[in-house]
Amino acid sequence: MATFQDLVHQLLGFWKDYGCVIQQPYDVEVGAGTMHPETFFRVLGPRPYQVAYVQPSRRPADGRYAENPNRVYRHHQLQVILKPAPEDVQDVYLDSLRSIGIVLRSADLRFEEDNWESPTLGAWGIGWQVLLNGLEITQFTYFQQAGGRDLDPISAEITYGLERIAAFVTGKDNVFDLLWSPTVTYGTVRRREEREFSRYNFELADTPLLFQLFDLYERESNRCLEAECVLPAYDYCLKCSHTFNLLDSRGAISVTQRVALINRVRSLAVDIASAYVKQS
Amino acid sequence: MSHRLLFELGTEEIPASMIVPALEDLRRGMEGALAEPGLGWEEVHTFTTPRRLAVLFTGLPERCPDRGELAWGPPVSVAFDTAGRPTPAAEGFARKLGVGTDSLEQADNERGRYVVVRQVVPGIPVVDLVKEILPGVIASIRWPKTMYWTPSRFRFIRPIRWIVLLWDDEVIPFEFEGVKADRWSRGHRLIGPSRIEISEAAAYEEILRSGGILVSPGERRRIIEAGLQRISGDLQPVPDSELLETVVHLNEWPAVIKGSFSPEFLRIPAEVLVTVMRHHQKYFSLVDQEGRLAPSFVAVINNRQDADGTIREGHEKVLRARLEDAAFFWDADRKIRLSERVERLRDVLFQEKLGSYFDKTGRLVRLSNRLDPDPQLAEAARLCKADLTTEMVRELPELQGVMGGLYAREEGYPEGVWRAVYEHYRPVSLDDELPESRNGALLSVADRMDTIVGCFGAGIVPSGSSDPFGLRRQAQGAVEILRAWRFEYSLRELVESALSGFPWEEEQGVREAVLAFLEQRVSFLLERLGLARDVVRAVCATGIASASPAELEDRARAVARIRGNEDFEALAVAFKRAMNLLARSGESEVAEPDPGRLQEEGEKRFYEVLQEWVPRVRASVERKDYDRALELIAEIRPAVDRFFDDVLVMVDDASVRRNRLALLRRVVDSILMVVDPSQILVQGGGENG
Repeated sequence: MATFQDLVHQLLGFWKDYGCVIQQPYDVEVGAGTMHPETFFRVLGPRPYQVAYVQPSRRPADGRYAENPNRVYRHHQLQVILKPAPEDVQDVYLDSLRSIGIVLRSADLRFEEDNWESPTLGAWGIGWQVLLNGLEITQFTYFQQAGGRDLDPISAEITYGLERIAAFVTGKDNVFDLLWSPTVTYGTVRRREEREFSRYNFELADTPLLFQLFDLYERESNRCLEAECVLPAYDYCLKCSHTFNLLDSRGAISVTQRVALINRVRSLAVDIASAYVKQS
Repeated sequence: MSHRLLFELGTEEIPASMIVPALEDLRRGMEGALAEPGLGWEEVHTFTTPRRLAVLFTGLPERCPDRGELAWGPPVSVAFDTAGRPTPAAEGFARKLGVGTDSLEQADNERGRYVVVRQVVPGIPVVDLVKEILPGVIASIRWPKTMYWTPSRFRFIRPIRWIVLLWDDEVIPFEFEGVKADRWSRGHRLIGPSRIEISEAAAYEEILRSGGILVSPGERRRIIEAGLQRISGDLQPVPDSELLETVVHLNEWPAVIKGSFSPEFLRIPAEVLVTVMRHHQKYFSLVDQEGRLAPSFVAVINNRQDADGTIREGHEKVLRARLEDAAFFWDADRKIRLSERVERLRDVLFQEKLGSYFDKTGRLVRLSNRLDPDPQLAEAARLCKADLTTEMVRELPELQGVMGGLYAREEGYPEGVWRAVYEHYRPVSLDDELPESRNGALLSVADRMDTIVGCFGAGIVPSGSSDPFGLRRQAQGAVEILRAWRFEYSLRELVESALSGFPWEEEQGVREAVLAFLEQRVSFLLERLGLARDVVRAVCATGIASASPAELEDRARAVARIRGNEDFEALAVAFKRAMNLLARSGESEVAEPDPGRLQEEGEKRFYEVLQEWVPRVRASVERKDYDRALELIAEIRPAVDRFFDDVLVMVDDASVRRNRLALLRRVVDSILMVVDPSQILVQGGGENG
């Protein structure tokens, strides 16, 4: 495994062969693969589903102007949802690591308790972070609730941190030195984006405007909900969430405000989830 | 024939901290359920790894013991006629059970006397019992946080994936939550076979060893401890029993590796390096002969070995990235002075009803000033929460306070300031060290009192298992510090001072509730010091509010020393009698005794004795010589007894009665300056506790 794109290709291939629907990244800004509708909606209700996709995930506060070897504003998650969670789900996951050339026999691998929670999505689950030679490469979660609703059946969510795994597999210390393709580095593909968005997120973003946008997105989401048009309502809920993250990275949110804003996004997510379940 | 029973519950990885209590629940549950029908066994062995809890019983019999049981027939009045001969009802009952009427006996139950037949019920096979009890035993394991994964919504810590249930070499048919018991266990995820056959219960430990699993946590601990010593070379691992327990329960086969990091990172304070290694990576730190932190670490890995060094390289790389972050924070944070950061605390919420940390800081400055007007303490109080706005504390919250202290030292504040900030969260737990500096101790007490009083005022009061602000721990720390530093503030004084920081009108309810809460913590502290519970109660029952924890300790120790004294033990009777009379008199205010109204010889003599005795007790208490005070208290016993023998207190003449009650009040009040003897359990002259 020499390149970032090989890794993506190989892992998606593994899950395609397993029987997953291979989906595409969602085209609204999200902070994590969990926010993709293919996770948020599919884990609700009784119907089985298996899906895998890459999701570029924007975390404005993590930006480091492309100067930190490990942190980036936008990283890539490879997200797998298996619903219901198969009994051998951990073994299948370990096989996926073998498929990308990781020799587990001579590795130190552990599943360490790490329960996942997303207050804005009203979602939480029980699970682990997977540590490979001390490096957290995957978040592994049994979803228990989403949109404030108890789930049945339970889905397993596997979230690979692609940059970290690629750095591990290829032995690179700096994410920007990774080979994206055999001749082009990750830095060439992404450096400008990291610099400009770091600058925007930390220095440039117009906070009064963002507060206005938050209100507008929220209003539009509610309007869609009233018309029982769930998926567009969810898009605007995601936009609220991203706007919140931008405001947060600008340091524009006080602690009291923070709780109130999170609750507003969460309340949208809960209403959307219940409308979705009612309709299906 | 003696049998072995093996039960292995196979799960996905259980959080390390929960394994030991769960195994204990499982063992106790099985022992209790097997012992109930009178079953005995030779030995019980328990085993565990992150993926399994297992119990092995040896020396079990084939069947449960037989039980004697009564079969109930008709009432005696129906079973026998007037001549005492069995009726057809009795004959029918005997026939049904296959015995003659001469085997009929009689027994009583709540409805009357009945005919019975004594029967022997043969014990069921132990394997049947095991099948019956296991579901209840599994469900009785308590977990702090559970999940469900099957449609039945059964809750457990993580999914159950396999069960091994063997009676010697045979599988006991059993199914739980869709998992069928068999003889197939699982080997190590990385170095073992995915399935491994357990041929015989007693061979469990050895067979799993061949599958890369060390099922004995004790053996894993020994490997890690020995490895730590061996690999450290000239350096010394920093002892860390909590971390050791964690890594014992994180691995199915542990090995110890040593890695290093660039010495350049040693410019970051050791506290930060150790915290990054310990909390984030679960590494042991190493120090040299002089106790200086070395640029290396020890990791415990879930594998037999690191043959080609790739595991070490991986860990080193991860640590380097973490230390780079820490170095970045250390440099960035110091660009903004702590005094500037204080202003930013306006945006950091302490508690909704109690305002921001900026508000808390203001209260702490005033409160600490009341405790001690040292300007360095006031400065420390002003700065102590400023580190909550630093990147380092945001990333490593366990370093709050410590970082503030380090940044203050870097900025050149004197030790009376920076060390107080550094130490003011201590003790973090029951076993943690207390602040070593006086200002640190005072600031810690002030911070805790402010939080406790504030939360009680805001209606956040610990109840049962709910204590979201950790107020019990906060209060425990406060009384520990007050005691260890022998501060003389009374608890009432502390509560009053903390209350004055809040604008509430009605304070009485809060004051009393906090004092009652502190009394529990003081009692707990004194018992933790090895003082007997009744001694602690006897001291606390005199009222804790006007005393300091150190005084309460001294008094309790003095009581413990004198409790075997005959006069002291006997005094309890007279004391109780006096208290009863005072209570019965219904006169809440009893005046000083008037010598002019003394009538009988007995009371005049008693008055004379008290005239001398009371001031001596008071003087001893004021000197804090509680041993002497208690000796005096014990010595008064014959005089009180004689008074009760000679003088009738509750006479009709109200003024005489009041005067005699006043004498008793003087005695009781003097005794209560030190102890309430009625709380002491009489031990029959034995050693005190």
